Amino acid sequence: MIRVAWRSLRSHKLRTVLTTVAILLGVAMISGTYVLTDQIDRGFREIFTDAYRGTDVTVTRKARFAGQLVGATEGLPQDMVEQVRAVDGVEQVYGYATGMGAVVVRGEVVQTGGAPTLFFSYSPNDLTPPDYVRGRPPEEPGEVAVIQKLATDERLQPGSPITVVTDDGAHEATVCGVFRFAAQSSLGGSILVHTTLSDAQRWFGMAGRISEIDVRAEAGVSAAGLAARIRAALPAYTEVKTGAQAAADQTRALSDAIGTFLRPVLLSFGGIAVFVGAFIIFNAFSMTVAQRRREFALLRALGASRSQVLWSITAEALVMGVLASTAGLFAGLGVAAAVNQVFRSGGFDIPHSGLVLQPRTIVIALVVGVVVTMLSAVAPALRATRVPPVAALQEGAELPRSRLTRLTPALAAVVAVLGALLIAGGMYGGGSTLVRLATTAAGALSVFVAVAIASRSFVGPLAAWLGWPLQKVSPVSGRLARDNSRRNPGRTALTAAALMIGLAVVVFVAVLAQGLKSSFIDSFDRTVRADYIIAGTNYMTIPSDTERRIESVPGVEAVVSLDAQQVEAKDGVTAVVWGIDPVAIGRVWSFDWISGDDAALAELGRRGAVIEEQTAASLGVKRGGIVRVTTVEGRRADLKVLGTYRDPMILNGITVGMAGYDALFPKSQTFMVVAKARPGVDVGATQRAIETAMASVPTAKVRSTDEYKESTVDLVNQLLTLVYGLLALSVVISLFGIVNTLVLAVYERTREIGLLRAIGMSRAQVRATVRYESVITSIIGALMGIVVGVVFAWVVTTRFAGQGIVFSIPGAQLAAFLLLAVVVGVVAAILPARRAARIDILAAIQYE
Amino acid sequence: MSDDADVTIAPRPDPAPAACGAGTTIGLSDAVVQARGVEREYGQGDALVRALVGVDLDLERGAYTAIMGPSGSGKSTLMHILAGLDRPTAGSVRIDGEEITRLKERALTRLRRDKIGFIFQTFNLLPTLNAAENITLPLTIAGRRIDREWVGQLIETVELGDRLKHKPAELSGGQQQRVAVARALASRPAVLFADEPTGNLDSRTGEEVLGLLRRSCDELGQTIVMVTHDAHAAGHADRIVFLKDGAVAHDCGRLDRDEIYEVVKSLEDVG
Ligand SMILES: Nc1ncnc2c1ncn2[C@@H]1O[C@H](COP(=O)(O)OP(=O)(O)O)[C@@H](O)[C@H]1O
Ligand SMILES: [Mg+2]
Repeated sequence: MIRVAWRSLRSHKLRTVLTTVAILLGVAMISGTYVLTDQIDRGFREIFTDAYRGTDVTVTRKARFAGQLVGATEGLPQDMVEQVRAVDGVEQVYGYATGMGAVVVRGEVVQTGGAPTLFFSYSPNDLTPPDYVRGRPPEEPGEVAVIQKLATDERLQPGSPITVVTDDGAHEATVCGVFRFAAQSSLGGSILVHTTLSDAQRWFGMAGRISEIDVRAEAGVSAAGLAARIRAALPAYTEVKTGAQAAADQTRALSDAIGTFLRPVLLSFGGIAVFVGAFIIFNAFSMTVAQRRREFALLRALGASRSQVLWSITAEALVMGVLASTAGLFAGLGVAAAVNQVFRSGGFDIPHSGLVLQPRTIVIALVVGVVVTMLSAVAPALRATRVPPVAALQEGAELPRSRLTRLTPALAAVVAVLGALLIAGGMYGGGSTLVRLATTAAGALSVFVAVAIASRSFVGPLAAWLGWPLQKVSPVSGRLARDNSRRNPGRTALTAAALMIGLAVVVFVAVLAQGLKSSFIDSFDRTVRADYIIAGTNYMTIPSDTERRIESVPGVEAVVSLDAQQVEAKDGVTAVVWGIDPVAIGRVWSFDWISGDDAALAELGRRGAVIEEQTAASLGVKRGGIVRVTTVEGRRADLKVLGTYRDPMILNGITVGMAGYDALFPKSQTFMVVAKARPGVDVGATQRAIETAMASVPTAKVRSTDEYKESTVDLVNQLLTLVYGLLALSVVISLFGIVNTLVLAVYERTREIGLLRAIGMSRAQVRATVRYESVITSIIGALMGIVVGVVFAWVVTTRFAGQGIVFSIPGAQLAAFLLLAVVVGVVAAILPARRAARIDILAAIQYE
Repeated sequence: MSDDADVTIAPRPDPAPAACGAGTTIGLSDAVVQARGVEREYGQGDALVRALVGVDLDLERGAYTAIMGPSGSGKSTLMHILAGLDRPTAGSVRIDGEEITRLKERALTRLRRDKIGFIFQTFNLLPTLNAAENITLPLTIAGRRIDREWVGQLIETVELGDRLKHKPAELSGGQQQRVAVARALASRPAVLFADEPTGNLDSRTGEEVLGLLRRSCDELGQTIVMVTHDAHAAGHADRIVFLKDGAVAHDCGRLDRDEIYEVVKSLEDVG
């Protein structure tokens, strides 16, 4: 039977290829995701393992929690090194200071694509000494050594000048050496810089302190035993681990980040692609079964059982599924390799020790491809089994209507209600984020299915309506296309539905992004009363002396530094604490009070706070209540809530006065400085003066408030582009679906086309007919996608209205998507239209 | 023919009736279609089929000509070549004075659109269009203004007034062929080609269609070429051209049914 299936697939090569590609692409995306994330995972595991190779025990300051805004802890006293050295069984001790900053070469900040620029103090005691390829480690203050990738990219030699920017300001330095770390010339795009201990302490505000102590045990001493002895000798605020444990913890942190974010995100795009592919396979099999109706009837008349007919189709699906998944698996490897190439040429190395193809990836790719293909073919196959043997003798190609056809509206309604319930459950119900996301996604898929089922009943009128202008433009091709797209509404509906899915997600994302942008601008306009915003790129911190530098610029009336740190504000719930100058803030900021008023600012003192409404809600506090916050180092404070305000975009957390902030945190960590020009001064000239004052700190961008708004909108747009890129695959797959449907339709209409050509229709007119039908289908898909996407976005924005995302429809973008659909239609029609135009008239009108 | 076995076969008289010329008549003064030395071969080597072996034929304007001949004699091939649907391997064809065998694809399409009407044995109508739309289809394709009066006259001639809004599937076979005739006439073609137009109809409805073609010729002056193997159908024509083995065997004027049978029989026997 497999052989029969194989032969049948081979005899319809084009159809087989088109259908296979539909599922292949989704499988490729899924397997590519696994290959890529496994590779990153293994790459970093190797790096961390190498980094801790010579280290038996590490000592750090205990962190209460982890978070994105958690900066470096206060560290350990430098003399703790001696305390550790005194422990029995210690052979060598290496204490160093580390911190994050930026490197400026020839006046330009070296971009890392979001990866950190890390500084380490060098010591000859280093347990895993880096491999110096040129020059030597730093010995004198002002000397730094850089990782090889930076030296190569920026053409740095021993002797080259370089500027180091840290929270403490800009520092001139000279390159003294180039090294490789853990045998890597680069570390996933991060930049590593070696400094002297005294420079590191100065630049990172760690006078007399270090970040970590690494220990090597004497021969024969167990790492675990030594760790226990060191732990006993040190104060409770330290964290003592074995080197292996530290490497594993760091690897796990990264694996978790990949496993809980990168991989699921990429997989969900792959899932959408597979889902679209399933529609196309279902449609393709439905069409073939309809076409081969007499063949099945003949088989039945010759005595084949229903199950034999069923098996003949499922066998085809099986072969196709296996083909598609195998090819998809290899395509996935190709995708991963290509992504590596793209990142590498973008200067952002993904650690690579070759592509990683785990057995798990192979199994998932095969299972997804085969199961989805076979499931999609089951319903059409069942219909084939209901073809009565007598049909072999009848004319016409109508399949017996599915028993469910009569129930179609009811079925659509049931699935839609199920989808709505799932979405509601996911959005408003309880459970973990993952469960809720999965429930919502299942709901969304159900809605897609419901719309696809329901669409067969409105595709006809919609096509008539859309075809009307085409018919006006082109009386023959337009008219025929309009009629053709209505001839088999079920088929047109499914073909359009495949496009709907991809576009619905695109529209959903676009509407959300638009909402995000407009609420950002809205909230910004409502609160910010400043003229200038000074901030880093990618939410990096800027030097804490920025405020002071700008204060002295003539023409500046007020400057406020917005500093932030993360705290634990309830068990397991972290919040951001913003530190502001309570007096100056009123000149540049207008709080949108919900309770309390500007008078609250004056009362902030050391123990007062005002809270953004969402944070207040999640912590369950009101004006007059108390919030207990714990810093990463374990410092506690009970803050009295003096007011609540609305500011979902910037000060979204707990805002305290500078006095309260300094009491909690050892370092300021400035994210943004807002400044205002004196009334009457030239705003542009003052901006240039501020830029001059900040010239030595190129990491801090000086922008007018309008420029700042624009740059934030740009950032959202960039993200949007990335998401569009990931969704493009689904749209491409649905394009193949349109091609498939059209090729079949053209084949079925060979005689009609022959007749039309015989009575004088030109090839161009034939092509136009196919093209118009394609465009009508794709526009139907786009319209359904836009409606569904907008509704989804409306549901989500309504649910999360409190978090500041408004519902706002990007009209121009939706129009652009419609245009994109037209392009998809036109492109999809190229091949089928060419085939239609090439139909041999004589062969087509032959009747024998 | 089964009783032939019992009788002694007497030598036959001249097989062709008096109305038939020897060979073909060419050099007509007002010929719409002029074919000269038309040859058509299919395949090559051992599989070579010579469907037409040198056909010379002139078709007079306003005449109703039937092409007859045994199955495989090349009737359809000849019609396709005369109508610009196929190209001869050798020879030339002129329609309305225009040499068509070397025309480019585009010009051929235009020729079919403007100068030629077709009626096929089956499947003449687009299933999605109603009868009226099918009739005006060639005009729509050409982007020509629809002459209401002319179309109205056609509809009257084919007696379909009450069926105009019906889709082909809702029409009988005879009605469908009548719509096809009207469709073929709509663009006032120089020549109307019909390939076995009654082949799929019962004799009564076939008669309707044949009568309609006859009237088109008589009342509208339409030039008609009809391929048929049905003697009754051929009986409606002004002239009957008999093909055999890819060449014109006889070229006759009006014949009655018995005369036609006689010629047909003679052709089959000689083969
Ligand atoms: N496309 C073709 N390829 C090969 N041989 C063909 C083709 N079309 C017709 N023939 C051959 O040419 C000869 C004439 O065919 P045709 O014109 O269809 O005859 P008729 O219409 O008189 O029955 C026949 O022998 C037929 O087999
Ligand atoms: Mg024939």
